Amino acid sequence: MHIEHLSLQNFRNYARLEISLPSGPILLHGSNAQGKTSLLEAIYYLATARSPYTTSDRQLINWHADRDLFSFARIGAEVISAKRVLNRVEITLTEEVDSLNGTRLNKEIRINGVSRRVMDLIGQINVVMFLPQDLTLVEGPPAERRRYMNITLCQTDAAYTTALNTFEKTLAQRNALLKRIAEREAGPDQLVFWNEQLTVAGGIIVAGRQRLLREIEIRARRIHHDLTGGAEDLELHYQPGFIVTANNSGQLSFDVPGLDLNRQLDAKEVAAQFMARLTAIQGEEIARGMTLLGPQRDELRLMVNGRDLGLFGSRGQARTGVMALKIAELEWMRDTIGEWPILLLDEVIAELDSNRRAYLLNRIGGVSQALLTTTEPDIFTPDFLQKSTRWHIHQGQIISMSSPAP
Amino acid sequence: MSKAVPQPVTQLIDALSRLPGVGPKTASRLTYYLLRAPDELSQTLSSAISDLKTKTRYCSVCYNITEDDPCAICSDSGRDATQIVVVEEPLDVLAVERTGAFQGRYHVLHGAISPVDGIGPEALRIRELVRRVEAGGVLEVIVATNPGMEGDATSMYLQRQLAPTGVKLTRLARGLPTGGDLEYVDSVTLLRALQGRNEL
Repeated sequence: MHIEHLSLQNFRNYARLEISLPSGPILLHGSNAQGKTSLLEAIYYLATARSPYTTSDRQLINWHADRDLFSFARIGAEVISAKRVLNRVEITLTEEVDSLNGTRLNKEIRINGVSRRVMDLIGQINVVMFLPQDLTLVEGPPAERRRYMNITLCQTDAAYTTALNTFEKTLAQRNALLKRIAEREAGPDQLVFWNEQLTVAGGIIVAGRQRLLREIEIRARRIHHDLTGGAEDLELHYQPGFIVTANNSGQLSFDVPGLDLNRQLDAKEVAAQFMARLTAIQGEEIARGMTLLGPQRDELRLMVNGRDLGLFGSRGQARTGVMALKIAELEWMRDTIGEWPILLLDEVIAELDSNRRAYLLNRIGGVSQALLTTTEPDIFTPDFLQKSTRWHIHQGQIISMSSPAP
Repeated sequence: MSKAVPQPVTQLIDALSRLPGVGPKTASRLTYYLLRAPDELSQTLSSAISDLKTKTRYCSVCYNITEDDPCAICSDSGRDATQIVVVEEPLDVLAVERTGAFQGRYHVLHGAISPVDGIGPEALRIRELVRRVEAGGVLEVIVATNPGMEGDATSMYLQRQLAPTGVKLTRLARGLPTGGDLEYVDSVTLLRALQGRNEL
């Protein structure tokens, strides 16, 4: 899969950009704050409808765009799959003035000119992105690891995307209802519908994550072996929020090894267990006025030689673990969708020692299209530079290009 | 607003900009238009607005908005009282009426269950519906809530409330839009259509 054409209007510091992209590696270089990362962000945004850097879409609109008038940003791309199918994907963000709520941001998604929902967009472009802050996958809160699982699964599994969407909406409704029941404004009998929705969607989510992690673990383990010269053994421990927390009042425990990834549960089995747990703790949920169990509390721990990487690992080990996980994600996605996803690497290369740098560049050599940002192109291997297209980016414009050596 | 603008003008601008879809600019434009327009227009408008609230009420049978109680549909003896279509909003009644295919009567709930917005079943006209069915004469209740999560929650609640009455409960079919193209239908809709398929 590769992007053939990218067009930006009022996106970040790009007033206007129309550019054709070659396949193979594209090296974006230039000083800081010139717009290298914004190009990666635009592609990621088209793939997932969310930015990897900000939760506020409003920030994506060019800050030079006149705020008093109608302000908007448009991002569009033409993508070609391995089967030579061309799709045009476009997102337009428009700021609308609404007298009741102040300004409101309207996000319109079009696929081949037809207005679509976010759910239909995801999966049109498959991306895997490496970021320096990926380290939070090991060291950060569990929400980061759930997001990793969600973004990977949503891109490849439409049923998972639907389930996740239903789950999140149901969870909000159910929490509001539990609060109302706690305040005696509603009866517990009203939970029936939301329990059903929550457990069916939850079952699909847990079964999907289990499958993903099993398949990622196989790959990540091999890569991790390569990276550590066989000295370290990486394992993924999946701890679903409602099985492991059943006996200890909703608190996760790091001692629990997690769900056996090799015994695949089917979504219906999980849903039934989930329902049984919910029924058992209904009283407590009402008393606390919120949902206490479910995949919104799932945890994933990375273990190296049987020790928890997030708790006991060195920074170097954490870096190695994350790299193994990300390369595994890239290769998993290739195997799942039957072609290479687009690879986005933001400043990651500079943080690696020369051995890992060479390993990573070698491992991603076959990718059909990769965009890499860097402030110093010299750190790349000569071999890699020879294959790459180089773009010099300056103040929201591509000021020079050089093609790979023939 | 600057002091140069007289108070009655600002007052109307403020009032208009509270309407949905109307911003301060549109509100000012409308206000100044009314200032210049013939007196008769603002009089018609103001009496229409005040009549809106004083001369309408809920129909005591179906809870649609009406001028006379019971409403025109409920008092029409030509319409089948054994079938009731249950909708969320008064506008949904108009939508079903436009099909011209339904000869029964309606029940308007005035919303759907949504705990996030603080709307529980007690805020809707559900009790009234149950009473209406219990009173007898109704053979079928057709649930026509919107096909979203809140509509489905409402539909399930109705089902549980009406089950003891033994009335026949049906729900609108969901699936492919007429004139649509299978290739362009999203997978959720297609899945629903497949599950709800009919025998030829």
